Amino acid sequence: MTGQRLLLEMHGVSKHFPGVRALHDITFDVRAGEVHGLVGENGAGKSTLMGVASGALVATTGEVRIDGTPASGEPDRARELGLAIVRQEPALMPDLSVAENLYLGLPHGRRPALSGLNDWARRLLNHWSSDVTIDPRDHITTLNAEQRFIVEIVKALECEPKVLVLDEPTEHLATEDVERLFARVRQVTARGAAVVYISHRIREVQAIADRLTVLRDGEGQGTFQARELSEDQIVSLIVGGDLDRTFPEKAAPGEHPVVLSTDGFSGPGFTDVSLQVRAGEILGLAGIDANGQREFMRALAGITRGRGAVTLGGKGVEIRSSQASKRLGISYLPGDRHREGIFPELSVRENFGIRSLGDQSTAGFVSARAESRRTREAIAQFAVKTPHGETPIQSLSGGNQQKVVLSSVLAGNPRVLLVDEPTQGVDVGARAEIYRVIREAARSGVAVILVSSDQQEVAGLSDHVAIFSRGRVVDMLSGDRVTEDNITSSVLKSTGQRDKHHRAVGSFWKWAAGNAAPLVMVASAILLLGTVAGLWNPFYVSPRSLSNMMMLAATLALVAYGQQFLMLVSGIDLSVGPTMGLLQVVGSFFLLKDTGLGTQALGWALIMGVSVVVGVVNWALVVGLRLHPMVATLATFMAIQAVSLILRPVPGGMIDSQIMLALGTKVGIVPVTFIVAVVLALVMEYVLYRGALGLAMRGLGSREDSARTAGIVPGRTRLIGYVGCSVFAGLASITMIAQVGIGDPRAGLGYTLGSIAAVVIGGASLFGGRGSFIGALLGAIFITQVNSVTVFLRLSQEWQQYLLGGLILASVALYSKSREKVVQA
Amino acid sequence: MTSTLPKEAGPAGQTVAARIKDTVLNEFSWIWGGTVILFILCTFIAPGVVRPAAISSMLPFAAILAITAVGMTVVIQQRGLDMSLPGTMTIAGLLFAKIGFMTGSTLLAVPLTLAIAVCIGIVNGLLVAKVNITPIVVTLATNAILMGAVRAVSGGSPMTAPAELAAFSHGKLLGVPMTLILAVGFIIVISVVTKRTIAGRRFVAVGANPAAATAAGIPILRYQVATYAIAALCFAVAGMLFTGFIGSASQTAGVDFLLPAIAAVVVGGTPFSGGRGSVIASGVAALFMAQLGQMVLALGASTAIQLLVQALAIIIAVAVRHLPALFGYMRR
Repeated sequence: MTGQRLLLEMHGVSKHFPGVRALHDITFDVRAGEVHGLVGENGAGKSTLMGVASGALVATTGEVRIDGTPASGEPDRARELGLAIVRQEPALMPDLSVAENLYLGLPHGRRPALSGLNDWARRLLNHWSSDVTIDPRDHITTLNAEQRFIVEIVKALECEPKVLVLDEPTEHLATEDVERLFARVRQVTARGAAVVYISHRIREVQAIADRLTVLRDGEGQGTFQARELSEDQIVSLIVGGDLDRTFPEKAAPGEHPVVLSTDGFSGPGFTDVSLQVRAGEILGLAGIDANGQREFMRALAGITRGRGAVTLGGKGVEIRSSQASKRLGISYLPGDRHREGIFPELSVRENFGIRSLGDQSTAGFVSARAESRRTREAIAQFAVKTPHGETPIQSLSGGNQQKVVLSSVLAGNPRVLLVDEPTQGVDVGARAEIYRVIREAARSGVAVILVSSDQQEVAGLSDHVAIFSRGRVVDMLSGDRVTEDNITSSVLKSTGQRDKHHRAVGSFWKWAAGNAAPLVMVASAILLLGTVAGLWNPFYVSPRSLSNMMMLAATLALVAYGQQFLMLVSGIDLSVGPTMGLLQVVGSFFLLKDTGLGTQALGWALIMGVSVVVGVVNWALVVGLRLHPMVATLATFMAIQAVSLILRPVPGGMIDSQIMLALGTKVGIVPVTFIVAVVLALVMEYVLYRGALGLAMRGLGSREDSARTAGIVPGRTRLIGYVGCSVFAGLASITMIAQVGIGDPRAGLGYTLGSIAAVVIGGASLFGGRGSFIGALLGAIFITQVNSVTVFLRLSQEWQQYLLGGLILASVALYSKSREKVVQA
Repeated sequence: MTSTLPKEAGPAGQTVAARIKDTVLNEFSWIWGGTVILFILCTFIAPGVVRPAAISSMLPFAAILAITAVGMTVVIQQRGLDMSLPGTMTIAGLLFAKIGFMTGSTLLAVPLTLAIAVCIGIVNGLLVAKVNITPIVVTLATNAILMGAVRAVSGGSPMTAPAELAAFSHGKLLGVPMTLILAVGFIIVISVVTKRTIAGRRFVAVGANPAAATAAGIPILRYQVATYAIAALCFAVAGMLFTGFIGSASQTAGVDFLLPAIAAVVVGGTPFSGGRGSVIASGVAALFMAQLGQMVLALGASTAIQLLVQALAIIIAVAVRHLPALFGYMRR
């Protein structure tokens, strides 16, 4: 095998994070045509190493070459050189369809024509498996973890990479898909490419890999021919021959009273768990990730709901919420520190005190003196490295953040302590501190439950260990049997294959969450309301009334398109209303009766020119000065309104009647402006789903980092969004001229709220990524209809507003509910 | 607020200077400096607006604006925005006048109006926190409904304010306008509650990171709903005071307060990212914005220029807060 081409070379690669040494001087190479297994425990540095290879992370020292060319630490560059990576957490854009994600995942040269996208995607998916359950039109949000992973693999395979990196690929796959994956991996190597196969399932790696490299604590343990090592030899390489970490002494033997016990406890992700934990002891829960151990703990913490008997201190209890759990004396140290552990912008003092406010307060008032004393004591006791208690916790290193959270959790004097991954992202020095603290808590009589994916940690800390597999406890280790080897072999040798599972979602909800549902619902509402109003009062459906409504709806629709366009990239423009007023005021100086064609042309040009300027200013404030879009466009709202009022303190400047007449042209009873609005909606909708621009905007609004990886430039795409929004406001202002006929600086004000209401009723998301121009059109028609229908139904005027408000709430509540229902966790 | 004595400093507190710097020189202190500079500037370029008479006619407006800004601040601290300010403020003025005349008792009208306002806030809060709708959409919709109710209650014409209310709104205690006393009271109470009570600390935590707050055993729904109730309460008080001040309950009373209230929060320095915030800074910013407006008008500019200057103030206020980070970056 020697003398073969090296497709990936890494020399002396080290990577340091603040306070943590993740990789130390690793040298790693991958030959053409081989499968190279990369094994090690969680946190050993496997994913970090591949992050460096793919350019997502920049090495502190060391060199990376892909197919002989130095890669400079940029994902785009690595991808061009032929490295594709399939991550544990797929980098897909959730609001885009499967087909669109596959499309954007490919380099430009390999992308197909957008017209046959779904068929192309279906072919790709069928290539993976003929009975694939994924519809290319499905949104990623509606897929479960397994399906998302398949999409990610299909995407990577289609790139025909020289080096394919698979990071824990079988975690989410069912047995038959694992076989499919292996077949595909062999095809990849058969054409001369290489595969890096990261896994902690040793049997799998033995089955597929030619060579394997072992990592432990960020250091390489050597590269071997896979066939030359037995499973046990690999395990001992992963674990390390000698115990190089010091753990505190375990609990003295003896009968301690049971503090917490469960009997037949079930919940999301775990089934029929019966465990007990005694005062002064640490119960470790081990298993491969997502096999129920963490889920069990979260149910005890009250974050999810479990069913079954829980006994605390001899009394049956029910844990309905995290608050109830806390009140029972159960304290929880979350595993995901950034998401659930810290309050990043708050100070160390505030973070420390939040879980035990009662201990530093009298009659509900926090005592500054007691608080500052307790904080100082905690900082000293846990050796937290921080300048002082007022420092925001986010500026501390990971280990120190964790110490603050742990001290805070313990400060509540719990009876039961739940600890999830206590040392994740924590450097070796701080680990020992944390182990000592947890053991001391136990020694003081607290019952501790520990979840960790680090087997050595579980072995070193726990008095008893429960092994979880597929949501059930499959083995129990106690006393001398609690060793790392026993745990690792029990965990790794358990046949942790999973069955295919798919959460059933009612077909109504699935439909209601789709793109078409808002359109159908709003269109039916329009027809229903129109019919009722027409039966009640025939004048409502008279040509004159209909054509008036269409005229008004056209203006609202056009400005709503602008709002919708911008909302795709998760922006919002509050200034559209005043912008319409300003543009009309500008027009009122030029579009006059006796000014001649030249001046009038200048007027039209200025209207469009000014609208572009407004868009650029908004963009500069949001992207350049990093103002919140609402704050930025609120400021421009005021500024633009001010300019309009300076130009025309009172309404003035009658627009040329010829222009008015032209703008009011009708075909039959349908105003031309309305026809234009409808045509624009169809064109924009087509661009949104079939155009590269629409795809780029939806992708960016859906998930910025993934969009960036797909080669979408956020700044430029947002510029198009802001300018587009203002230009649509410009078009709307032109149609508004036909209704107002005079330069009125206040004429447009109502359209800010109107445009937002129209797109929201039409099904847009304010968070970006999804929306519809036809929806915006229907929303605009509906609002116009509601505004006029009250008159014909002889309802008092306030009903206009009741209906508008009520309908917005009803529609958005329905969309929000339906999307919640179909999103797979 | 951190009244740490030197002897208390201990091992972690050797950098007392750094603590004081962090406490005194933070993003909320800019507005104090800005306001002082503004008043000094006024004495030079527009001495008319710093005369006692001018100031005492500006203060009630600043005070009412400050009360609305306080309500808006707590919502923004919870990553929200309350666009139902105009509706709540207007309906409160109207209901107060109506109930006052119907029952003949101001003492009864005040709690009834406030109770209704709290109900409005609870509905907003439940729609945001429980039904999971974006705050701006919820409050835009409820504002539309409230404006409809305004029309129904008023019957389309303004109502005269009860005499007691007018007297209260114009009243003074030891030469200080009652509105100002009330505004300062609101600011102090809410500031003390958020900074110094258990409930307030939890409120801040929920705004800073709702998921972490849940994991810490805080019932976040309760706090999220209460946020909107407090905001509505502030808007209602502002609405009643404004009604008393102008002598009648109009149907548009609150409309002109929405943008200035948000502007005051932004200028005061409360970020949209949740958690951190200062009602004191928002209150001072309300004073700043009111005085800035007076100064611009006194210089002979139109209300349009006034609006333009306020818009610039927002942009400058936000941009200026990037400066310390920029300096810090250059020092490194």
